[in-house]
Amino acid sequence: MRKLAVDVVVIGGGSTGAGVVRDVAMRGYSTVLLERADLGQGTTGRFHGLLHSGGRYVVSDPLSATECAQENAILSRIQAGAVEMTGGYFVTGPDDDPSFADKFLAGAAATGVPAQEIPVAEALRNEPRLNRGIKRAIEVLDGTVDGWQLVWGAANSARHYGAQILTYHKVTKIDTVDGHVAAVHCTDLKNGEDVVIETGFVLNCAGPWAGQIAAMAGAHPVDVIPGRGIMVAMSHRLVNRVVNRCIYPADGDILVPVHTVSIIGTTDVKVDDPDNLAIEANEVQQMFDAGEVLVPGFRKARALHAWAGARPLIKDNRVAATDTRHMSRGMAVIDHTTRDGLDGMLTIGGGKLTTYRLMAEHIVDAMCEKLGEKRVCRTADEDMPVEGAGPNYVVTHRLHDREHDRLDDQIICECELMSRKMFTDALAEQPKGTFDDLRRQLRLGMGPCQGGFCSMRATGIALASEHIDIERATELLRLFLKNRWIGLWPILHGEQLRQTALDNWIFAGTLDIEHLPAAESEVVL
Amino acid sequence: MSRVVVIGSGLAGLVAANRLADGGADVVLLSKGIGGLQLGQGTVDVLGYTPERVTNPIKAVTKVDKGHPYAAIGAQGVLTALSYLKELVPDLLVGDPEANYHLPTAVGALRPTCLAQPSMLAGNLKAGSAVVVVGLRRLKDFQPELVAGNLARTELPDGGRVSARAINVDAVAREGEIDSSGLVFANAFDDPAFRARFAAMLAPQLNDGEIVALPAVIGLKDRQAHQDLSTQLGHPIFEIPLPPPSVAGLRLNQALNARAQAAGVRMVSGVRTVGFTADGDRIRSVRNATVPAEREYRADAFVLATGGFEAGALSMDSYGTVTETLFGLPLVGAENTPLIHGDYWGGEQPIFRVGVAVDPQMRVLGNGQPVYANLRAAGDLIAGSSRWSEKSGDGIAAASAVLAADSILKEL
Amino acid sequence: MATDGLEFAGHSLSRASLDACVKCTICETQCPVAAVTPLFSGPKYVGPQAERFRNGESVDHSLDYCSSCGTCTLVCPQGVQIAELNSQARAVMKADHMPLRDKLIGQTVLMGKVMTPVAPIAKAALNNKPIRKVMEAVVKVHEDAPMPPPQSQTFEGWFRKRPTPAGPFPRGPVVFFHGCAGGYFEVETSKKSVEVLEYLGYQVIVPKQGCCGLAQQSNGLFKGATKDVLKLCDDLRSAGKDLTIVSSSGSCTGMLKHEAHEIMGVEDERLKDVGTRIVDMMEFLLDLHEAGELPTDFAPIGMKVPYHAPCQLKSQGIGKPALEVLRLIPDLEVVDSGAVCCGIAGTYGLKKEKYEVAQAVGKPLFDMVKATSSELALCDTETCRWQIQKSSGVRTEHPIYLIHRAYGLS
Repeated sequence: MRKLAVDVVVIGGGSTGAGVVRDVAMRGYSTVLLERADLGQGTTGRFHGLLHSGGRYVVSDPLSATECAQENAILSRIQAGAVEMTGGYFVTGPDDDPSFADKFLAGAAATGVPAQEIPVAEALRNEPRLNRGIKRAIEVLDGTVDGWQLVWGAANSARHYGAQILTYHKVTKIDTVDGHVAAVHCTDLKNGEDVVIETGFVLNCAGPWAGQIAAMAGAHPVDVIPGRGIMVAMSHRLVNRVVNRCIYPADGDILVPVHTVSIIGTTDVKVDDPDNLAIEANEVQQMFDAGEVLVPGFRKARALHAWAGARPLIKDNRVAATDTRHMSRGMAVIDHTTRDGLDGMLTIGGGKLTTYRLMAEHIVDAMCEKLGEKRVCRTADEDMPVEGAGPNYVVTHRLHDREHDRLDDQIICECELMSRKMFTDALAEQPKGTFDDLRRQLRLGMGPCQGGFCSMRATGIALASEHIDIERATELLRLFLKNRWIGLWPILHGEQLRQTALDNWIFAGTLDIEHLPAAESEVVL
Repeated sequence: MSRVVVIGSGLAGLVAANRLADGGADVVLLSKGIGGLQLGQGTVDVLGYTPERVTNPIKAVTKVDKGHPYAAIGAQGVLTALSYLKELVPDLLVGDPEANYHLPTAVGALRPTCLAQPSMLAGNLKAGSAVVVVGLRRLKDFQPELVAGNLARTELPDGGRVSARAINVDAVAREGEIDSSGLVFANAFDDPAFRARFAAMLAPQLNDGEIVALPAVIGLKDRQAHQDLSTQLGHPIFEIPLPPPSVAGLRLNQALNARAQAAGVRMVSGVRTVGFTADGDRIRSVRNATVPAEREYRADAFVLATGGFEAGALSMDSYGTVTETLFGLPLVGAENTPLIHGDYWGGEQPIFRVGVAVDPQMRVLGNGQPVYANLRAAGDLIAGSSRWSEKSGDGIAAASAVLAADSILKEL
Repeated sequence: MATDGLEFAGHSLSRASLDACVKCTICETQCPVAAVTPLFSGPKYVGPQAERFRNGESVDHSLDYCSSCGTCTLVCPQGVQIAELNSQARAVMKADHMPLRDKLIGQTVLMGKVMTPVAPIAKAALNNKPIRKVMEAVVKVHEDAPMPPPQSQTFEGWFRKRPTPAGPFPRGPVVFFHGCAGGYFEVETSKKSVEVLEYLGYQVIVPKQGCCGLAQQSNGLFKGATKDVLKLCDDLRSAGKDLTIVSSSGSCTGMLKHEAHEIMGVEDERLKDVGTRIVDMMEFLLDLHEAGELPTDFAPIGMKVPYHAPCQLKSQGIGKPALEVLRLIPDLEVVDSGAVCCGIAGTYGLKKEKYEVAQAVGKPLFDMVKATSSELALCDTETCRWQIQKSSGVRTEHPIYLIHRAYGLS
C-alpha cells in the first residue's frame, strides 16, 4: 500500500478535473488528480470537438453564450496548439424558419458574441459542399478543439506546478472523520496496489460519475442525469468551417471539422448508466438525415466511426427530467456542507468543454472561500507549457511535418500521418498505456482504415521497444481491434464497409489473427 | 469466333480469361483496376478451417454444408482448377490438394493453405525446428519480434513446438529513404549484387541449423532469388507474405496477366463496367463508364468475376440495403439479421457471406433458375463462404472460374 | 491567392472520390515515379492521404514530383481520382510560385510557331550543346531532354497546298484533329492519318485549330488551359455538328475526353459535345473492324516491332486498340512493351530537376525497345515518341505509319 498526503484531491480526469487540478496547483496547493482510466477517456473525449463561439446559446441561454465567447478567446490563446480557429457559420436550411436568424443576431448583440450576416453566395463559395438551398448565413468565431490535447495540456501545466496526475487509479472509498473528508482510497489498476491519500479537501469532478463519487463520502444522492449524445465522424472534411443550423438547439444541428475529419452531432437521450452508452441505429439514421440537410449527398459520403458521450448534467427542476437538452448548461457547484453536513468536499456538474477553465475557476474559488483563504486564479493569464507556446493548430501541420522528416522516419499510421518517432516517444512516456491511450494522443488508427494497416506495425514496434512482452503485445492488438470495432459497426455501410472487408481480409485472411495462441493467464491491460 | 467478356481481373477473372482463351474463345477482359491478387497472401487456399484446422482440404471440400460454394463446385471442380493453376504458373505454385501446408504469417500464426510458392515451403515447420525471423529495419510491415514471439508459443498442428528468435538487419534497398515498401525491397532482391551484400550481412548472425524466415520480398521477377539467397546463406529460408502491397500476390498477378496476354486475351482496364443491355434472358452487352461517352462491349457469354464487398461488386447503402452493383442480381444471405454484429472477436460477420447463388455451371440463380442464360459468376461474388476466416477464397475463385469457362466453351 | 485552383468545381468531385480509398497500396506499386525515386512520396500519399490534410493549401511541395502520367487513377480498383487530386493540389501550390519554365513549356503553340519558319536554325540551336546549356540555365529545361523535331513545313501548309483529293468519299465526311504537335512537329503522322482516312473513303475536313491546353494544365495553369480548350472546342465544332472527330494525338484526345472536365472541372456543353465525338485514330480503326467495315487487305510487313501504349491513351479506358489493329497486318509481330510509362509524361521529363527521374522511369521501356528492334518502335503520342526515340536511339513512329504502309500508301 502506498500513502500520500496532499492539500486537495481532484477526482476525475476529464476536462473539468484537469482544469481544476491546474488551477489548484497554480494557487499553490499540493494536489493529486485521480482518474480511473486515461485522461479524457470519458465525456471529454466523446464530443464533437466544437469550441463554442457562444452562437449556439445566444437565444436559448444568454449567460452561457457570453461565457463561451470569453472562454473561446482565452483558450485560443493559452492552448493555441489544441485549438483550430476554423470560424463557423449558422445557416438557415431550406425548411428552417428564416426569422430565427433575426433572433439570433439580436441575441448575439445582446450577449457580446461576435456575429455578422454574410451573403449566402459568399458562404457557398467558401463552403462549396453546403446545401445550395440555404436561405441565410451568419458568420461566427466557432473553432474546433482536440479534447485530449486540451486535457493533457492542462494536466502537464498542473504537473509543472507540482501536481501529481494518477491515471488508472480508481477511487474505492472516501474516509470522513467527524463530518470532514479525511482520506481518499484508490487502487492502481495497472498493478492492483492500494493507495491511500490523506487530504483535507476533495473536489469531485467526475462528471456523469459524480453521483457515484459523492455517495462514497456518504453524501445524499446527487442527481446527475447523464445525457447521451452520439457523434459520427465522416472520413474527410466536408466543410472547413463549423456549420450550425440556425435554429433553436436540436439534434444533429452541427457539423464540425476537427483534424482530418468532420463530425456530425448530436443527440440527447437520458440514460441511467454512463458506462453503458449504446449507439442506436435510429440515432445514426437521424444523424445521416441531419447531415443531408447541411451537405447534400451526406449519406453517400463515407462515415468512419461513431461514438457516444454522456453529458454530466445536474438535475434542474425547471425542466422535465426526460429533456436534458434544455437543462441548464451553466455549471452547478454543490456544497456538501450545507447539503449533507459534510465538510471538505465540493461537487461540480454541468457546464461544457469550452468553459472548462472558467468552471475550474469557480469551483476553486468556492473551495478557497470555504478554506477562508484568498488565492487568486491565474489560469487565464498564463499560456500552457507545450501547446500554448506556438501558433494555433492548422490541419496541414502533420503534412508539413512529414514533408520534412518523411525520408528520415517511417510513417506508421499513414491515414493520420503518425511517424514512428511520435509513437515510440509517446510509448516511452506511457509504457503501460494501451494502444487506445496512445491513440488519443497520436490519432493512431483514427483515419479511414481504422487500424487496418497501422495496428500490426504499432504492435511490433511496441514489442521491440521492450516495454512489453509478446503476450501483452498480442492482447493489446486484440483489444485495439475490438475497441475500434465498437465505434465502427454501428455506422458501417458504403465505402467504410468496403474498407472493413479489406481489413478483415488482411487480419482474418492473410494474417490469420484469429488463430494466434491465447495468453497463458489473463493479461491486465 | 465467339466472344466472351470477363469482368474483373482478380484470381477468378484471370483464371476464367485464360481458360476461355485456351479453349478458343475471343476474350475481352474488362477491369476497373488491376485485380486484387496483390492484396492477398500469394498462395492458393482451398479450405483451412471448418472451423477446426483442416489437414486434407479436398476431403474437407466434400463435407461442406449445402449453400457453401463448394457444394455447387464439388471436389472434382477444385482438383481440375488446382491442376490448371499449376499449369498456368508452373514455377510459382506447388502443393498437394490432399495436404495443407501450415505457414507462419506476419503476426506469427500458422496459416493453413493448399498451394504455395516454392519460396515459402520451408515454413512448413517440424517440431523442434529452430527458426530465426529476420526483420528489415526499413520495412515496417514485417515486425520480426511479433512473428518470433507468437511462433514460439504456438503448438504445431501435429504437436510439438519450434523455437524462434528475432533479429533485424539494416539492409538499404534504396539510398535516401528508411521507409521502403516491400516492392522496393523486392526490386532490390532481384539484383544478385544486393543479395550477396545482404547474405554477407546476415550470415554471421545465424546459428547452425536455423531456418531463416524472411518477409516475402525476396525478388519480384527473379524466380531463383530465394534459392540463390538460401545457397549463399547455407541455410534453408522461407518467405512470409505481407499485408498489401504483397509481393507474393504481385508475382501471381503478373504471371497470370502475362499468361492471359500471351493467350490472346484483350485487356481493357481503368474504367468501371456500369451497365448492360439484355434480350429476354440473355445479356447482350455491357457498358464501360468511359467519359464522356460510355463504351459498349457485346458478347455471347459473360463471366462476372467482380469480387465481393472489398471490390465494390457488392455494396450496402446507408439504409442497410445490399446490392450487386452491376446487374442488380438477386442476393442470398442479405435477409439475415443482424448482418453485422458488435463483437469483433465474435465470429465472422454475416454480411460477408452475402452473394449470388449459382448452379454447377456457375450460372447465377434467382428463384432457383438462371437469371440470364449466358451470365456466370466466379469468385468472391458467390454467396455462402466465410472465405477469410476459413481460408477458402482462392479455391472457390479458381474452381468457379474454370467451371464457368468450361461450361461456356461447351455451349459456344 | 493560394486557393485559386480550388475554385474549379472539379475539385469537389475529385475530393469526394478520396472517400473511396481503402489504402490498398495498388497505386503505389504501379507508380512509375515512386518506383525510381524516394523523392516522390507516391500517389496514395500525395493523393487521397494528403488531401485530407489540405485546406486550400498544399504544404507538401514534393507532390511536384508526380509526373501526372495518370497510372494511379487507372489502376485504382476503388475509383479514386488520384492523379486528378494531385494535379489540383499542384495547381494550388503553383498559384503561389510558378517557375518561368513551366509557363514557357505550357505554351505549345507559341513554341511551335516560333520554331517552324526557321526550322534549320532551331534544329541547329537545339542540337548545339552550348545553346542547350544556356537554355537549361535560363529556362531549366534539361540539356539532354528530348525536343520536338522542327519541320520545314506545317501540316496545315501541306494540307492547304496539296492538290484537292477528287473523291469520291463513299463514307462521308470526318473531322481530323491533329493537335499542336501534329500541326508543327509530327507533320508526317498527320499526313499519313489523313491519307489513310481518305483511302478508306472519308472526306477529311481539317478546321483551323488551336491548342488543347494540356501542357498548361499539367503545369497547373488552369485558367489559360480552360480558355484554350474551349476555344479548341469551338474550332472543332465549326467543321460540322454531328461529325466524328478523328485524332492522331492521343494526349490531346485525353484532354478533350476527360482531363479538362475531371482535373479542371470544366463544365461546358461544347466540351462534352467534342469529347463525345472525338476518337483516337487507332480506336476509330478498331471500331470499324469490330463493325466489319475495315478493309483488311493489308500487305505483309515482315517485322518485329515494339509497341508502347502511352499513359494518356491507357487512361482513356479503351484498352490498346493499336495492338488489335496491328495484329491484322500479316507477318507483323507487335510486342507490347508492358512498361508503365516512358517517363516524359507530357513536359515532366524535359525539366532539369526531373530529367534523371524521367530517364529512370523510362529505362525498362528503352531497354525493351532496344532489345526488340533496332529499326522501329511504335507509340501513339508525340512527346512519348520523342522520349523513346531520344533515349533508345530507335526511330519511333505512330502506329498509323505501318497501317499506311500496309495499305500500300507508302
